[in-house]
Amino acid sequence: MKILVPIKRVPDPQTNIAVRPDGTGIVTDNVKFVINPFCEIALEESLRIKEAQGEGEVVLVSIGGKECQEQLRTGLAMGADRAILVVTDGPLDPARAAEVLAKLVAQESPNLVFLGKQAIDDDANQTGQLLAAMLDWPQATFASKVVIGDDKKSVTVTREVDGGLETVAFDLPGIITSDLRLNEPRYASLPGIMKARKKELKEVPLAETGVSAEPKVKQVKIEPPPKRQGGRKVETVQELVNLLHTEAKLI
Amino acid sequence: MFDLEPTDEQKLIRDTVGSFAKERIAPIARDCDESGSIPKDVVDQAWELGLIHSPIPEEQGGYGEERSAVTGAIVAEELGAGDVSIAMHVLAPRLVAYPVLDGGTPEQRKQVLPRFTKEFHAATAAVVEPRFDFDTSRFATTARRANGSYVLDGQKCFVPLAEESDLFLVLAESDDGPAAFLVERGAAGLEVLEREKNMGLKPLATNEIALRGVKVPADARVGGEAGFDVSRMLNLSRIGLCSLAIGMARSAFEFAREYAKERKAFGVPIAQKQAIAFMLADMAIEIDAARLLTWEAAAKLDKGEDATRECFLAKRYCAAQVLKITDNAVQVLGGHGYIRDFPVELWFRNARGFSSFEGMAIV
Repeated sequence: MKILVPIKRVPDPQTNIAVRPDGTGIVTDNVKFVINPFCEIALEESLRIKEAQGEGEVVLVSIGGKECQEQLRTGLAMGADRAILVVTDGPLDPARAAEVLAKLVAQESPNLVFLGKQAIDDDANQTGQLLAAMLDWPQATFASKVVIGDDKKSVTVTREVDGGLETVAFDLPGIITSDLRLNEPRYASLPGIMKARKKELKEVPLAETGVSAEPKVKQVKIEPPPKRQGGRKVETVQELVNLLHTEAKLI
Repeated sequence: MFDLEPTDEQKLIRDTVGSFAKERIAPIARDCDESGSIPKDVVDQAWELGLIHSPIPEEQGGYGEERSAVTGAIVAEELGAGDVSIAMHVLAPRLVAYPVLDGGTPEQRKQVLPRFTKEFHAATAAVVEPRFDFDTSRFATTARRANGSYVLDGQKCFVPLAEESDLFLVLAESDDGPAAFLVERGAAGLEVLEREKNMGLKPLATNEIALRGVKVPADARVGGEAGFDVSRMLNLSRIGLCSLAIGMARSAFEFAREYAKERKAFGVPIAQKQAIAFMLADMAIEIDAARLLTWEAAAKLDKGEDATRECFLAKRYCAAQVLKITDNAVQVLGGHGYIRDFPVELWFRNARGFSSFEGMAIV
């Protein structure tokens, strides 16, 4: 089974993020970048599927600058077989990213595209869904459990939805996006890291895919959330009710 | 070319081992210190990173990857930042595997190395001797030739994992200088004495061992008749110990720095008081200095050169600085530094041993 795993380079969720004063983005100096945690979970699940089946191929894709090689190498060190980097000047919006992935799917013909449900930088949560629509493939988003059918032609996915769990099944090829509780990604091993050096990492200029870099969504401004105001203590319940009515206008 | 920048692979190794140490080792360090033991699952998980068998040749079941003292230093620093006792435990099998890899005869490699490629397999080296005149260039433990065998006599201490190890690498003085011998656990005359009660490194089981007329065949001598470069092995072990110390010093410094930025006195964080700020700056300077000395020594060993001088300089410096840095970390925390609710007293206790340790970790 061939699985395509798109991964995105994002700031380490454990670092403190500062917004640039001009509002064009975040300060990236001295910020550590990692594989988007949801993408990493998708990769882990794909590797487990391959290991359970004893055959198959896990192909990584990233879209962005040359620095994304770092995350692709990490993914290769975890056990992916090869990687493709679609080189762009900056990140693409979800619609353009999905277009690029659709082109790659046409070339690679994977049985499954396994994405993270969203990237922790812009939290768009769109790429998987858009890709499914473009390919007209079935999709299961927010996966918390994935079971490949014995015939390897179908998949049953448990989804985390509001108010519970939903189980869906469809025939492959299809799209799955991972949720947080699907698995706990492995650490790359030392031999894995050394081996990754010899694995194929192909660079494809965006122009070669025929997809335009012109964004469909324009990012107007990025600003930090407003600082929280300190709380206030009141003497009586009556005072609280009055304030809720006159100041907060909640009741 | 002169470059102190780690390669891309080394950076990835640093990040991976660093995450492991931070997520899996550091959180259990206190419990391990209290209980004097290390859970098996973390040892197994660490083994899965390939810390031991990555450089073992493929024909012996390993991965045959390149081994480097600088990379080893990077790995040891990250593990040491998690916890030095757990680091020494998970790295202990190297104490036999790497000398055999470096200087073993083809038969010794075939016989010994496959043991380390299936799962975590305890093995250890017996280096330090409980004597006031202990000298790594002249061991008091002797190896006497007798009818095509060797007879070992002496006493060793700070032998990590002695109780669970099935194979010991014993350093002893032979008639042609220091030599290393492979001694199986069952050898007559080898006795593992009581577990040592140490000031620090409490999770790490270390024992004294006694060798009373232990007879081993001639082919138990690492490298056979030609022998083995014991001095290089000890230098590689010094790099390991230095890096563990640096990792721990780094954790102590980072903890103290963050504490100082939070803790307020007289209306400002204490980090803004010069008495504290200077102390923190000195800690940062000494950590970088210690690392540079260690990496220089490691790089020289990687080039195959004799780095005895550099290793001694680094070892002396790291042992002194790790004690000073962890002491200052306790000081930055004030009274909080002395109580067991905070990790700094643990680091301070562990740090005290580095001036005595030899041959307890290797890169």
